Amino acid sequence: MARVVVLGAGVSGHTAALYLKKRLGRDHEVIVVSPGSKWNWIPSNIWVGVGKMGADKVVFPLAPIYRRKRIEFHQAKAVALYPDGDAHNPRGQVEIVYTDPTRVGTTERLGYDYLINATGPQLNFAATPGLGPDAGNTVSVCTPSHAVGAAKRLAEVITTLKAGIPQTLVVGVGHGTCTCEGAAFEYAFNVEQELQGAGVRDKAEVIYLTNEHELGDFGVGGMTFNSGGARVTSEAWMESLFRERRMKAITQAAVTRIDPGVINYTQIDGTENTQKFDFAMLLPPFRGVGLKAFDRTGAEITDTIFAPSGFMRVDADYTAKPFDEWTAEDWPKTYQNPTYANMFGVGIAFAPPHAISRPYATPGGLAVAPAPPRTGMPSGAMGKVVAMTIADMILKGALAPTHHASMGEMAAACIASTGTGLRRGTAAAMSMSPIVPDNARYPDTNGRDPRTTTGEIGLAAHWVKRVLHTMFLYKAKAYPFWYLIPE
Amino acid sequence: MTTTQDRIDRAPLPGAAELARRSNLGVQLLRFLMLNFTMYRLAKSSH
Repeated sequence: MARVVVLGAGVSGHTAALYLKKRLGRDHEVIVVSPGSKWNWIPSNIWVGVGKMGADKVVFPLAPIYRRKRIEFHQAKAVALYPDGDAHNPRGQVEIVYTDPTRVGTTERLGYDYLINATGPQLNFAATPGLGPDAGNTVSVCTPSHAVGAAKRLAEVITTLKAGIPQTLVVGVGHGTCTCEGAAFEYAFNVEQELQGAGVRDKAEVIYLTNEHELGDFGVGGMTFNSGGARVTSEAWMESLFRERRMKAITQAAVTRIDPGVINYTQIDGTENTQKFDFAMLLPPFRGVGLKAFDRTGAEITDTIFAPSGFMRVDADYTAKPFDEWTAEDWPKTYQNPTYANMFGVGIAFAPPHAISRPYATPGGLAVAPAPPRTGMPSGAMGKVVAMTIADMILKGALAPTHHASMGEMAAACIASTGTGLRRGTAAAMSMSPIVPDNARYPDTNGRDPRTTTGEIGLAAHWVKRVLHTMFLYKAKAYPFWYLIPE
Repeated sequence: MTTTQDRIDRAPLPGAAELARRSNLGVQLLRFLMLNFTMYRLAKSSH
């Protein structure tokens, strides 16, 4: 009997665990280790953050699902890997510390034959002094509880606006190396719609503050796509949308410090600026969760397995090279760790070889460089292909990965909500193929396939996003035929 | 220097026909079906 341990139960880890159990059946063990007791459909947190959806609608408890699927679940945090085992046992082990209230703080080591690191990100609010709900100056929509806090603060601001007092609302990213600009974009437009709905839009200034070099970059270098029969850049598309909704934007900004009511940021020309605010939702940068690794003798080998960012090294080309030499081929295909063939890193937990957008820095060396997004559709796909590879290794004796899903080949669709409601909802639907531009394959269209790189705005896109919410919760709950819903 | 805000201020606004298309229930129902089909095809073909 083989044992596969999956660290993390987000989109990637949960998908991997479900597919593994489906393939492996009762003859092999699948164990999931996750510090949280609930699964969260993160894309809908933005609606919780404007008070349009209850937090209970975006989460569900994991334990009953895993009990039904015969997957062993440990509510615990992984803290250390021992891929060569210890002095007594050569089997790989992972050390976990329980967060389960019934045995909180208890430490245990789990042996494994295969390990999937899907631990996701550590929300690194500490990277910017004063950033985040704990520091108290800004709100966040990264977790359901953060989003509830954001909705509460937004309601207070709307009450103030109704009293006739002008307010400034800033939404964006809180560091020069943040990712997930798409989520910040969505939240900004949903906030704007809330203000419209409350009849206070004229008293409010809404500002989108971002590290993107231009609007529509989204950390993927922007897109040029077919929209309404014409070729248009995502930059021009977004500028039009911002004007239509009377939103302001500050780009090329690295937020350096948040004081009460004041955001301090530096732009790539080195100018230091401040922006006053009454409400600010700024996303944090991400880093790895801080897993350590040790060999059999107890010597630390963290640097062998993890990149300095804390994310796991996989089959990417990590050779440092200038932007003009980056290629789609640099990106991992199998997500297998190069040192330990029975370990894989998926979703946000794998170390990307480099960014996708061109990185910039201020004259003083401060990075203004969006990190590459690795969430949603590609994240689920990575979880699935790694599950299939491990199942083939266990069941068929495959010696090398049998499935691949490179971001240099994969397409992705992004539905960016710009307002909710069955009749007044609206969203920007974008698809791109591949996610990482392949300039060798598509030299004339900025590295992307013009047939499948598209964009449109409308009510239909909002309906799609709402349907995706229901479908992915259905899939994640592993209801009948869940596997027919693609990642 | 042209700032992003300058570009936003000069950006073209959607015309009346485009705004009507974005909210017309018949058109959007068709687009909804097309978008779902496109996304399904992309997801199935990408790995």
